[in-house]
Amino acid sequence: MRLAARLLALVALMAAQAALAQPESKILRVTFQAAETGFDPARVHDYYSGMIIEAIYDTLLTYDYLARPAKLVPNAAAALPEVSADGRTYTFRIRKGISFADDPAFKGRKRELTAQDFAYSIRRFYDPKNRSPYAFLFTGKIIGLDELAARAKAGAKFDYDAPVAGLQTPDPYTLVVRLKQPDVNFDYVLAFPLTAGVAREVIEAYGEESPSHPVGSGPFLLKRYVRSSKIVLARNPSYRGKTWDFDPGDNARFKQIAERMHGKRLPAIDGVEVSIMEETQSRWLAFQRAETDIEYQLWEVAPTYMTDDGRLKPEFVRRGIQLDRTVDPEVIYLFFNMQDKVGDAPNPVGGFGRERIALRRAIAMSYNVDDQIRIIRKGQAVRAQYPIPPGVTGNDPRYTSVIPYDPRAANALLDRYGYKKGPDGYRRQPNGEALVIRYTSTPTERDRQFDELTKRSLDSIGIHMEIQKERFPEYLKAQKQCRVMMGHQAWIADYPDGDNFMQLLYGANIHESNNACYDSPEFNKRYERSRQLHPGPERDRLYHEMTRLMETETAWLLTDSRVRNSLQQPWVVGFTKHPVLHAEWLYLDLEPKPAY
Amino acid sequence: MREQGVWALAWRRFRRDRLGFASLIVVLVYVAIVLAAAAGWLGRDWNNEAGVSFAPPTFLGPEAVESPQLAKAAEGAQPAADYGIPDPLAPDLAEIAKSLSGASPGEARSPTLPFGGDKWGRDVLKKMLKGTETSLLVGLGAAALATFLGTLFGALAGFRGGWVDDFFNWLYSVFTSIPYLLLVLAIAAVVNQKGTFTVILILGLTGWTGIFRLIRAEYLKHRVREYVLAADAIGASSMRRMFVHILPNVSHVVLVQLSICVVLFIKSEVILTFLGFGVGVDTVSWGSMLAEAGSELLLGKWWQLTAATIAMAILVTAFSLFTDAMRDALDPRLK
Repeated sequence: MRLAARLLALVALMAAQAALAQPESKILRVTFQAAETGFDPARVHDYYSGMIIEAIYDTLLTYDYLARPAKLVPNAAAALPEVSADGRTYTFRIRKGISFADDPAFKGRKRELTAQDFAYSIRRFYDPKNRSPYAFLFTGKIIGLDELAARAKAGAKFDYDAPVAGLQTPDPYTLVVRLKQPDVNFDYVLAFPLTAGVAREVIEAYGEESPSHPVGSGPFLLKRYVRSSKIVLARNPSYRGKTWDFDPGDNARFKQIAERMHGKRLPAIDGVEVSIMEETQSRWLAFQRAETDIEYQLWEVAPTYMTDDGRLKPEFVRRGIQLDRTVDPEVIYLFFNMQDKVGDAPNPVGGFGRERIALRRAIAMSYNVDDQIRIIRKGQAVRAQYPIPPGVTGNDPRYTSVIPYDPRAANALLDRYGYKKGPDGYRRQPNGEALVIRYTSTPTERDRQFDELTKRSLDSIGIHMEIQKERFPEYLKAQKQCRVMMGHQAWIADYPDGDNFMQLLYGANIHESNNACYDSPEFNKRYERSRQLHPGPERDRLYHEMTRLMETETAWLLTDSRVRNSLQQPWVVGFTKHPVLHAEWLYLDLEPKPAY
Repeated sequence: MREQGVWALAWRRFRRDRLGFASLIVVLVYVAIVLAAAAGWLGRDWNNEAGVSFAPPTFLGPEAVESPQLAKAAEGAQPAADYGIPDPLAPDLAEIAKSLSGASPGEARSPTLPFGGDKWGRDVLKKMLKGTETSLLVGLGAAALATFLGTLFGALAGFRGGWVDDFFNWLYSVFTSIPYLLLVLAIAAVVNQKGTFTVILILGLTGWTGIFRLIRAEYLKHRVREYVLAADAIGASSMRRMFVHILPNVSHVVLVQLSICVVLFIKSEVILTFLGFGVGVDTVSWGSMLAEAGSELLLGKWWQLTAATIAMAILVTAFSLFTDAMRDALDPRLK
């Protein structure tokens, strides 16, 4: 009897000890909907790898977590850069005492992050051996480096030690960048995660293996990595730490976040566990079973967890699940090829003649953007009227488009300009030739819905449309070569400034990002002037004129910007989707999960 | 009693198989639907937006809540200023606006449809009927093409032997060494053009291998039979021996294979369209309906999936049973 009681007490004691042994470590569990490609900043270009790179490395600048539109703040730099009066010299002072995570490549020494590392990282973008997809961030901008790259392309090895006038480090904590032309947006480039500082020893030690051996000075380090399946990050013990200190402004939700997070030492969590799950349904089920903490890649199933007016359904509210809604800094648009010819064939939708403008206008007026939002997006998008989306400097929410949805007027307009219907019910060109619009899209289920909507729209005004299918990379290539007559495209902000969107219509960017191949002297003149200006009323006035020009000549029909619905488990604290930062892992916290 | 031909005998045997006979009637009903749809009596206006988006089936009654509300557009939008940029079409548009100033005729959209609506509000029942036309057309067309090729190749290979046989065997090995669906997808990717005819071509060109193998074996067997040697002795050409003498004697194999292929190709069309290589957007087929149904099901809209699945399941089952019965009836060894 006594023995039994003692045994019982012992068991109880052991159980209690086990419970006390260690506070549950705070591991954030998230998913990616597409596989990563690797973590060498100069060699990757996909969004998901960028998220990991942002967590492991330090960039010179970063964004304020709560300021909207997004605002630059210093990160590895001690302050925002000093810019010379002519806008061509940027001087960065690096914060002292930042050190890299320990790694065998450093041979047991603590390694400090210096200006040299950033200079090296920038040079890596020019090294043809790295074939960096993001080289355009720097190409043609910094004095002397293009010449260095040209020599390497000619066969020589890229010289990382050659002195270059445009990229200098007078002391270990100062980086001076001299540009060929004034560029008011150059500081945004240095907040882009891929421009983070890497250590030369590490890159040289791992060689071709560098994408799977990231060593940075940022808040996390790579602990376990199973390619295309699992990425586990742990808190970097050498990280200098930050204090949560952001101004919530007037936003009620930000105020709640600030109340619970203010003064916390960052990172507040111990690690991040990323699972790659490509299917929406798997991600949704995993979140419902509380196997993931944050999920914001659930567009297709939005109506299962949201009411029509954008609130969480009561059964999820009862479970304490939180919903954070933001509009992505992107615009999606229907574009027309504005050139007179597509390849060798004449282009019926191109050119600036009145009857061509009338045709494009009629097509734009027949396209029901509300149906696109209601049916294809399941209500999870907002109408775009201005080429600069919400959350990006230069956005004007009060601007209204001059292109209404009005298929009856569109039909009347075509009648007026001599697009007469032939015996098959389809319209002919004013000169009597057949009129066939070739529309290009990719072979996905989502694009099939766009095909349907576009085809229905053109049928409603009696215009014959053919659909051509290209896989996504080929579709982009065809756009660059101005071989796409009409199609849909999306552009998401690389940096939160209107210039990133207005350049999409600039004539000199044909064969790069100007997929409408729109070359309007009036537009170009204004764009060139806007590039010299800092954000403000004067630049806004130019942007308004440019937008109206684009509309009256109808190069694009702006359609929508998608809403990002971020679901969070009850124990996630301080999360809100940032418009530009890839991941918010540094700024949030986890509370103990309730025991089940 | 009068002497009965082989076909009359087969027909008597077939009629005794009640399940087979019933399935024949089901297949005939489908064929009638296809003919009616092709003539434009059925499902002609399937592309019309008859109901509201995702209108539920009539027997469930209308949905309590309206279809999803639009996210609010910018409020207090200012009247469109011209920012000093004139619109070259402004005079035309102003005149058009004046002439169209009457209230635009609002389309009446029904809140429910007999078997529900799809995301654009199209009638699922009409889509199913029209889809039957496409799917059966693809099935029959592709099966006819595949059977023609398989029979021709098989006859040549089996009858001629030698290098002709070697060549067709080599072709056969190449086609069968690649997994079937992968082969179909590869050819679809190369053709990269949408349309019912393309699907028929793809399926027909890849599906002849099974028939080829069987027909070749039959011809190997038959070409040394007495009646063929007799035909040879009286001077019949080899073409005549192949297609006038032997073919009728192996036709039961061809017929059975044809109907097996119909079932296979109806399913293949569904898979092809589901994967985005099938018919175009202005055509409806069961495959395109099922492809749409995937995302609809997540939202709880089950009617399109149900309609397409039932239509397909009934036809495929009936056709398979019919094929079975036909083989029993035609095979002279099973008496």
